[in-house]
Amino acid sequence: MRLNNRSAVLLMLPATTLYALFVLYPTVRAILLSLTDAHGVRGGSFIGLANYRQLIHDPQVTAALWNTVLYTVVVVVVQNALGLGVAYWLYSNRAVRSIARTGLLMPAMMALVAVSYLWQFIYSPIGGPLNALLDAVGLHSLQTSWLGDPSTALMGIAASYIWMYLGYTATIFLSNYLAIPDAVMEAAALDGARGWRRFRHVDWPLLAPSLTVNVTLSTIGSLRVFDLPFIMTDGGPANHTQTLSYVIYNDSFRDFHFAYGTAVAVLLLFITIAAGVLVTTVLRRREVAA
Amino acid sequence: MSGMTTTTARRDQAQTARFPAPDGNRAARRRKLLRSRLSSAGLLLVTLVVLAPILLMLKVSLQSDSDLAANPLSLPSHLNFHNYVAAFSDMNYGRSVFNTVLITGGAAVLVLLTGSLAAWPLARLTRRWTKVVYQGFVAGLTVPVFVMITPLYILMRDLGLLDSYLSVILAEAAISLPFAVLFFTSFLRSVPAELEEAAAIDGAGALRTYWHVVLPLLRPASATLLITLTLVVWNDLIIPLVLLTSDDKQTITLDVYSTIGTHAYSASQLLPTVVLGTAPLLVVFVVLQRHIVAGITAGVGKS
Repeated sequence: MRLNNRSAVLLMLPATTLYALFVLYPTVRAILLSLTDAHGVRGGSFIGLANYRQLIHDPQVTAALWNTVLYTVVVVVVQNALGLGVAYWLYSNRAVRSIARTGLLMPAMMALVAVSYLWQFIYSPIGGPLNALLDAVGLHSLQTSWLGDPSTALMGIAASYIWMYLGYTATIFLSNYLAIPDAVMEAAALDGARGWRRFRHVDWPLLAPSLTVNVTLSTIGSLRVFDLPFIMTDGGPANHTQTLSYVIYNDSFRDFHFAYGTAVAVLLLFITIAAGVLVTTVLRRREVAA
Repeated sequence: MSGMTTTTARRDQAQTARFPAPDGNRAARRRKLLRSRLSSAGLLLVTLVVLAPILLMLKVSLQSDSDLAANPLSLPSHLNFHNYVAAFSDMNYGRSVFNTVLITGGAAVLVLLTGSLAAWPLARLTRRWTKVVYQGFVAGLTVPVFVMITPLYILMRDLGLLDSYLSVILAEAAISLPFAVLFFTSFLRSVPAELEEAAAIDGAGALRTYWHVVLPLLRPASATLLITLTLVVWNDLIIPLVLLTSDDKQTITLDVYSTIGTHAYSASQLLPTVVLGTAPLLVVFVVLQRHIVAGITAGVGKS
């Protein structure tokens, strides 16, 4: 029997049902819920856009929005720049490539929860390894309470996230490198393209597909960051490390302001979609141009 | 997938063959060798720096608090396995590992079966409506779980599923479905439909063809997906945190979180708990690395 429309619909039925019921329906329901004044599980009454009017004047939400955007920009730029550098190194060094990649990927296998506790320990102000290390190399003037200081807390969290996913990003760039036909690199070598010049004119345009994937993944991943600030700082000091996801969880499951928390979630959804569309159109256009 | 490492190795050989070292110029060759040695050493150093926090974690997890205060960075004066005994009894370890395996297994069966059933027609039947369905799944990749978490909680409550394994299995499976459908579809598109057509000529129905031809064909993709899914479910906090309340149902990551929570744990209490929560996956990673790398790089070059 060949596949026809009828058998295709039947084959897709289980997956679409599961997906519609537990992903699409909750997403649509979230938008509706954000237009009510529901507290806890009891459905509230329709109040239009009042939650949205309230949240643009809510200092907690505006702080979280700013923190999330700043965090995302820093993570996307630094993680991809470092990942690309490491991938270039891995590509040009065949001898230790596979063992180095294994080591670099190790942190990405840990749960974010585990990474959070580990780095909370590393950053701890009293007897923390980072401060001990700074002391050992004579830089004790730099010692600080990394997660307790408003000027370093968010970047400290970003650093632990970048640490976790550096190998992941590099692995994606590397697989793109390994897919470049040898003939291309030989031709570049014959033309005398070496080092930076080869990277600029040969590698960089050819790496466009993996750049799209990496930038998309790191953007989506860091916009929704939750576990790290939730565990490492619980949003503090003051509002300095609260992210949108953190505020959503806090409002919804600590204060049980379901509708208001969900309105923040819908804001996160629109930001994610906007960022996704932006990243995809800009980077896909590059891919086509190359 | 299984051919990946061998292809790379073969290409490496081909590269060496095509780039013979310039004969004669011995000094240049020696300089080149030195440079590649230095590059290797540098790369290994970077790897070691990245691994340092993990090594530090292992070291401190075996130190008593007083020993740590005296030797924050150097090796412990003696190994203290008592930390692990204490952490093990504070956690609900055996039970949590069992729960995690059960939930991962349930979600995996659901995702692998429903995902491959849907991917088959999506890969083979190019109609306008199949493209719409495909795009619908793609859209799911961008929706942050935080958007749906509250309605999901309300839905599970209405279904009477709160604090059940099934609620976590269904939620994790549904959230992983988009990736599975995309992965299976692109895998199927890369293999010819001949076997399925042969089965059709033999008069096999859709379900028989799926079971005897398509599913075995997808075996390498399924293995990769299974490992990726294990990583996701094992490491997830938010879904079990919101949907589960009883201690005897929690997953390993939730167990780590609820054991430590926001208590002022000392390092000798904290780190063994984290190691116990992390170790099983690191072992899986070392053994099945090939599949993990294949899962990570699945999105590249298939656009």
